[in-house]
Amino acid sequence: MDHIVEKTRSRADGAGVAPFLAVKDIHKRFGGVHALRGVSVTITPGQVYHLLGENGCGKSTLIKILSGVHRPDEGVIELAGREHRSLSAIEALEAGVETVYQDLSLLPNLSVAENVGLSQQLVRAHGRLATVLDRGLLADTARRALSAVNLPTSEDFLSTAVGDLPLAIRQLVAIARAIAVKARLVIMDEPTTSLTRREVDNLIDVVRSLQQDGVAVLFVTHKLDECYQIGGEAIIFRDGRCVAQGPMSSFSKEELSRLMTGRVVDGARYRQAKPAGATVLRATGLTSGERLREASFSLAAGEILGITGLLDSGRNELARVLAGVQRSTAGSIEIDGAAARIESPRDAQAHGVAYVPEDRLTEGLFLDKPIETNLVALVLDRLRGAFGGVDRKRARMLGARFVADLKIATPDLDRAVSALSGGNQQRVVIGRALSNQPRILVLHGPTVGVDVGSKDSIYRVVQSLAEDGMAVVIVSDDLPELLQNCDRILVLRAGRVVSDLPADTADEDAILKVMVATDDAVAHAGEAP
Amino acid sequence: MSTLASAYTPSTTGHPVRQVLARRPELFTLMLLVALCAFVAAANPDFLRLATLFDLARASVVIGLFALGVFVILAAGGIDVSFTAIAALCMYGVTKGVVEFAPGLPLPVVFTLSIAIGLGLGLVNGFLVHHLRVPSLIVTIGTQYTFRGLLLTFIGTIWITTLPPQMDDFGKVALLTTTSSQGATIILPLFVLILPAVAVLTWWILRRTLLGRAIFAVGGSPAVAERLGYDLRSIHLFIFGYAGALAGLAGIIHACSNRQANPFDLVGSEIDVIAAVVLGGARITGGTGTVVGVVLGTLLVVVINNVLIMAGVPSTWQRVVVGAFILIAGAFMVNRRRA
Ligand SMILES: Nc1ncnc2c1ncn2[C@@H]1O[C@H](COP(=O)(O)OP(=O)(O)OP(=O)(O)O)[C@@H](O)[C@H]1O
Ligand SMILES: [Mg+2]
Repeated sequence: MDHIVEKTRSRADGAGVAPFLAVKDIHKRFGGVHALRGVSVTITPGQVYHLLGENGCGKSTLIKILSGVHRPDEGVIELAGREHRSLSAIEALEAGVETVYQDLSLLPNLSVAENVGLSQQLVRAHGRLATVLDRGLLADTARRALSAVNLPTSEDFLSTAVGDLPLAIRQLVAIARAIAVKARLVIMDEPTTSLTRREVDNLIDVVRSLQQDGVAVLFVTHKLDECYQIGGEAIIFRDGRCVAQGPMSSFSKEELSRLMTGRVVDGARYRQAKPAGATVLRATGLTSGERLREASFSLAAGEILGITGLLDSGRNELARVLAGVQRSTAGSIEIDGAAARIESPRDAQAHGVAYVPEDRLTEGLFLDKPIETNLVALVLDRLRGAFGGVDRKRARMLGARFVADLKIATPDLDRAVSALSGGNQQRVVIGRALSNQPRILVLHGPTVGVDVGSKDSIYRVVQSLAEDGMAVVIVSDDLPELLQNCDRILVLRAGRVVSDLPADTADEDAILKVMVATDDAVAHAGEAP
Repeated sequence: MSTLASAYTPSTTGHPVRQVLARRPELFTLMLLVALCAFVAAANPDFLRLATLFDLARASVVIGLFALGVFVILAAGGIDVSFTAIAALCMYGVTKGVVEFAPGLPLPVVFTLSIAIGLGLGLVNGFLVHHLRVPSLIVTIGTQYTFRGLLLTFIGTIWITTLPPQMDDFGKVALLTTTSSQGATIILPLFVLILPAVAVLTWWILRRTLLGRAIFAVGGSPAVAERLGYDLRSIHLFIFGYAGALAGLAGIIHACSNRQANPFDLVGSEIDVIAAVVLGGARITGGTGTVVGVVLGTLLVVVINNVLIMAGVPSTWQRVVVGAFILIAGAFMVNRRRA
């Protein structure tokens, strides 16, 4: 199996050091899908690697082979000098391979401390469960790892059930688990999707110090800026093959996009200036708990409104309040000039508001059910046939249309959603929200975890929806995304709307300044790039 | 730091009492229990006599052992409805064997035998659940019928009314004695100590060993637990084996306590036991709950079943009360999740 390597550039360092891990000519098939087609990768201690590629190109599959979740169909794995046909989860952990999975793989009912510290105990016991817990060690390990990722270490936090935490914190807890023990290779599958700059910066520091300790780090991400900032080796996948490898700095962004997608992707502004239509939504003094305080704004038909801010700015709460997922404690929402009570997702749907939640990989999908069922789940009543049953043909047509529009990579609609790659699962959620033909679409981080090429297709869909008069709200911390797509950008800070900028003249720096300005400017100084 | 410190706060808001209850649902069970006891005591002061309390303690042992076994399985996200059949088989099989073949068998051997048979039958459950990959409810419905059928077909259907002396005596060993309002002597049997001992052991396994945390991990998500390296097979075998062993223990105690062995006994009380576990704050979907909660839930069900009648509530109403409590507790649990 000779794979085509478009280019392999000279390695920056690491030459001469014995590799920690090498996979050779790995193949993996899922039914008819040939997810990995002869991949060879070598991991040297102390190196940072970025595994880049489009959604569904096999990144997570490779990672799951390295961490002992999947067994490869062909190929060998050389780990710390020993050859294996496949690894078990315990073997990988014992050899020092720690993984942050794309779906985080946290145990929602266990406490933060247990999620972070139990793996260490399991490995120390060599997987033997009949072992008394070392609770002192568990707490110490958890505290150390949590403070490394800047999470609180109070008793209260340690004993909180992970399922009660917001997504960004869960992501940090998963990272803490991976760095809790002295690993030799830390793998992170899209670890920063819901983190803001400050957490990302901190994570980058963590990676640097791991690297100094001789730990290898394998990153998977779609955020190319972060890869450049960290530096190291780029490994580029396309369709289950490794198509290029070399120092990150030797590739330009355009080159990377071309290698990943096989075509040229430009980063131009999608939004053409458009006269705003009639106001469809007006929010006045929206307040919810401590985080969202008296936010007011309006939204017109055919308008795309961006909302951004730091993690604690209230942007997430605002999105959830609009969608009826979280209740407001004060303030009002008017839709088409009439007061609208939105207290549940059902109310929101009744008012024509559709919501794509931020946490799409763990919320909102029926993972074991076919793609089609997921896509049409919200509109079953409209697909009723003559005898009250679901009209299979129309359901199929609707499903097929979204698969095509959103470029969901799947051979057929009957596949379970769990068989899709992470990025493709996200598109299913977007498709489902659109199936309801909403008048107002609230997208919470619409392209989190989506590759460069497919971001483009999602943006195009959103733009054409707005063309047709839909009012769209994009809540995101991806500033280029907002600048490319929106008419206006609202910046939230401490729960209030502090700025309302036209997107065609604003720039990233200006927005960042507003996001972090004021009283605690000093504390937030690290935020600006 | 400020960003995260404020962003981490869990979404539970509201009244401090609610917050405490959200973290410790077994306090809610305790409140129900205290309220119920206060009600019964107000209606009939006899409730507070030692004799009543002794009766309650005696009645709690078997159901409590069952409940602890079910709880361990529920914590891992499974369910068991075969434990009463296991207990009946152990109780009757062992008693009959002792009567017929070894009348002088020492008591510890009798107990060990019953526990061992229970363990074996429980392991059969665990093995089937793990290897057939069939939901445990289905498997244990199947084994309940099978175990019961085996008992009635091959072991016997005749009520044993005279226990071997060592078993009979064990049921009568008193920890304390008192006299009832009618003047009869009421004892607190020594075997009531078995329930707290097993409760402490279960608590220790669940909280203090890796196995215990692994059980909860599987209850949280079996797929994730497997991915993290927990050996699902050991966990399945352990939880069903443990519940089976406790059922074997409960069965033999049941015989000693009632001083007879009726092969048609016990089966049918599964729902009482599962109700006790759920009333103790464990979610039927698994992954949550505490041993303290299970013990409180057991006491609640035992009080309802045994002494509500003292407050003038007709025994036919007991089921209504249990049902109402489950609904109240259930509604409370749902709210807890939304809080
Ligand atoms: N459990 C599974 N069953 C069937 N097919 C699967 C399974 N897991 C992955 N696949 C398929 O294998 C291919 C590679 O998926 P993988 O998850 O590795 O993609 P990825 O590179 O991680 O993408 P993303 O950026 O979207 O996360 C996809 O076509 C996916 O549909
Ligand atoms: Mg992936």
